[in-house]
Amino acid sequence: MNDKDNPGTEATGGIDTDLHCAPASLADLEPYFDRYWRSYIEDANLGLSPSAGGAYPPGAPTTGRAVNGPDALRHRVDDLRYAVLTCVTPFDVSRNPYFEAALASAVNDWVRTEWLEGRSRLRGSIAVSTMDPAAAVAEIERLGDDERFVQVLLPVRGNDVRYGHVRYQPVLAAAAERDLTVCLHAWGRVGTAPSPSGFTHSYLEDYLANAQIAQSQLVSLIAEGVFERCPELRVCLAECGFSWLPPLLWRFDKEWKGVWREVPWVRQRPSEYVYRHIRATTVPAHLPTDERELREALTAIRPADWLMYASDFPHRHGEGGTRLLSALDEAERRAVLSGNALRFYRGLTATGPR
Amino acid sequence: MIFDADIHPTILSSDLLSRLPSPWRRRFELFSTRAVAPPMVYPRVRNGGTRLDSWPPDGLPGSDLDLLREQLLDEYDIGFGVLIPMQGHTFGAEEPEYAAALCRALNDAIAELFLDKEPRLRSCVCVPHEAPRQAVAEIERLAADERYVQILLPTGTSSPPGDSKYLPIYEAAAAAGLPVAFHLGGVEGHRGDGWPSFYLEQHAWYGNSTAMVATNLICAGLFERVPGLQVVLVEGGISWAAPLMWSLDEAWTLLREDVPALRRAPSACFREHFWFTTQPIEEPADPAQLVAALEHTGMTDRIVFSSDYPHWDFDSPSIALRDLPKDWRTAIMSHNGHRLYGGESR
Amino acid sequence: MRVAVARVADFQPGERRIVRVGRRSIGVFRVGDKFYAINNHCPHMSGPLCLGRTLPHLSSSGPGDVSLAEHDTLLACPWHGWEYDLATGQSFLGPGEKPARGFEVSVQSGHTVSADAAMRFPDRIPGPYVAETFTVRVEDEYVIVDTRQGGTS
Repeated sequence: MNDKDNPGTEATGGIDTDLHCAPASLADLEPYFDRYWRSYIEDANLGLSPSAGGAYPPGAPTTGRAVNGPDALRHRVDDLRYAVLTCVTPFDVSRNPYFEAALASAVNDWVRTEWLEGRSRLRGSIAVSTMDPAAAVAEIERLGDDERFVQVLLPVRGNDVRYGHVRYQPVLAAAAERDLTVCLHAWGRVGTAPSPSGFTHSYLEDYLANAQIAQSQLVSLIAEGVFERCPELRVCLAECGFSWLPPLLWRFDKEWKGVWREVPWVRQRPSEYVYRHIRATTVPAHLPTDERELREALTAIRPADWLMYASDFPHRHGEGGTRLLSALDEAERRAVLSGNALRFYRGLTATGPR
Repeated sequence: MIFDADIHPTILSSDLLSRLPSPWRRRFELFSTRAVAPPMVYPRVRNGGTRLDSWPPDGLPGSDLDLLREQLLDEYDIGFGVLIPMQGHTFGAEEPEYAAALCRALNDAIAELFLDKEPRLRSCVCVPHEAPRQAVAEIERLAADERYVQILLPTGTSSPPGDSKYLPIYEAAAAAGLPVAFHLGGVEGHRGDGWPSFYLEQHAWYGNSTAMVATNLICAGLFERVPGLQVVLVEGGISWAAPLMWSLDEAWTLLREDVPALRRAPSACFREHFWFTTQPIEEPADPAQLVAALEHTGMTDRIVFSSDYPHWDFDSPSIALRDLPKDWRTAIMSHNGHRLYGGESR
Repeated sequence: MRVAVARVADFQPGERRIVRVGRRSIGVFRVGDKFYAINNHCPHMSGPLCLGRTLPHLSSSGPGDVSLAEHDTLLACPWHGWEYDLATGQSFLGPGEKPARGFEVSVQSGHTVSADAAMRFPDRIPGPYVAETFTVRVEDEYVIVDTRQGGTS
């Protein structure tokens, strides 16, 4: 899967903003751990959860077959201008903040060595610690100069506070300083209950909870003034759905009017920050089946200002993504398939990689 | 005449104490209660949470029936108002026998101080929701009194509301022919989303909390088990419901083998078993989008007006919902509530 | 109509009086050495505006940082908290960007935002509601409200 057959002039393909890869086992990552962590892994008989902590049960129709090596991507990226790889393996970790940071670094090194090297159409995501902001900043500093990384990767859930919290400011600032997008991706630390009340008994509910939690992160980032402090920051919500946006913004804008003095650094209506700083990927696309309702829903959603195409390969979320693209006009489709991503990730050019 | 499905009374401690038997009266006097209600974690930064003009000379907002009549029932020609006693949310979370005593005292105080004196008012049966056996006993005690129109639960329960633990409550409600209402509140928890810093965030999360309650009840197959159950979602908003139904149906198509207890499309469950109250009604810049969002739910005949008096984000019955089509508004302001709770539409 | 509200000496800074003037209920406020009169009716949902708190203008340079103006020149409705400039009755939303942008975003069709109000609060977004204001004068040591004239003089 190299570029010799595709010289890369005047590419017209889309930009896939969420394409998954994952090590088949910790053995794949072994070269990227130091001796202490290799020993730790061996002592714990540690293995990667086959379901990534319940996020992707291997047999679930939505999971698909894991992409463990670049061969699995053969032809997948042939028609694309770029593809952004996400490896969510570090999401499934224990509470040991040092191991979390080491695992994230190992994954990042594995991705850049075994995936990005020599494949000019691929871009990577820098996985970072969620529990130790200083370690997260250090990792961003370590890899931030590597132009092949376009974003910092965080799980949308699993922390005791939301990402707008002052605790995460240094991480978001470090990303913004280096023109790195911040990606909040579906799922998160194993052992956290997705709902306010407690654990769910079904994967279905857990799967749908990503959409609810993504909304809480969106609200947090805006309410905490993150985009005032970091006016250059861009945030992508990946694999969390998107059709939930208009009702949330109606509520958020209305409530802000009554209690704005609690957050006086929010200097505009909350909804105005969203379209400037935040994007969502196109799948899962949960949309009405009726044509008229679909048109009305999309009018409120504003897909050309909100969405970036993603295959989310190998995951499968049904027909909604196709239905979405079919419902867009030419200009909207161009924006969603590539235009928005070109403006949302550093270093991408309209003509594609050289 | 207008139907108001969400009015918040307050029972003062003195009125509660006099109705608590031993040993609960002494325990309440000495130790009060343990449950952490939302305002303890997120101070209500707008007027302390209530309209500033709703404070009676002696007492708390919602504790004075005369003021409630003057500012709400008489002011807006409310013919039928449902009291939602939020104290039941925290009382209901205490240990079983204590919770049962507190809820019984609360329900009795509401009856004597509000329902007995004001024929336009109805109330909910507040129950020890974490102790289903005791909850069923309280439902059975009061079900025959037609002034109790529903069973009240908070969205903040210790287990997901569709958990089998709570099944006896739903069965008892359905057997009594009463809906169950979920109102925002109860014990504050943020295990999935992470704790917000501000009241603004906490309040903005209410639609999401309600959506997850509804999702959980449906996925638990509750309505297959208790087909006669109706559920009212109070103060959670409405416009999120159609996007939720699209996502439930799409995901169920792929993942239905994970929820064998659910035997029909989730949206069908939603449309046949849920109701909404209006406040706080969403207010998009373009009112046509609200009309579209409500129409997409397919449930405009299951929406009931609510004021949320005396809270600060109170919706005025005479002004709210002006942008809705006239026939919807008429039904929402009166007929739908009567279809749900009974009584005469006038 | 002209109504004497109180002797100046009895009306201290920070105080307010609510008076009936004909059919109207009007709140008279003293802020420092200035007096303001505003209709006791919030255009949003008809709340009793003059029962609300007076508040200072507030600005923030960033998360966690806040500075308050010296005087409470805004009146917040005791219901939903809509804030009105006591001098002009112009409502304001939260803080905003520079005036040109704030105006375009917020102004509803047919509504003219008071230029005077916008100048006094350059970093606030004007809201869609304007409360009615009245002239207040001090004459012979009395505070007089005059409902024949608006309050911007």
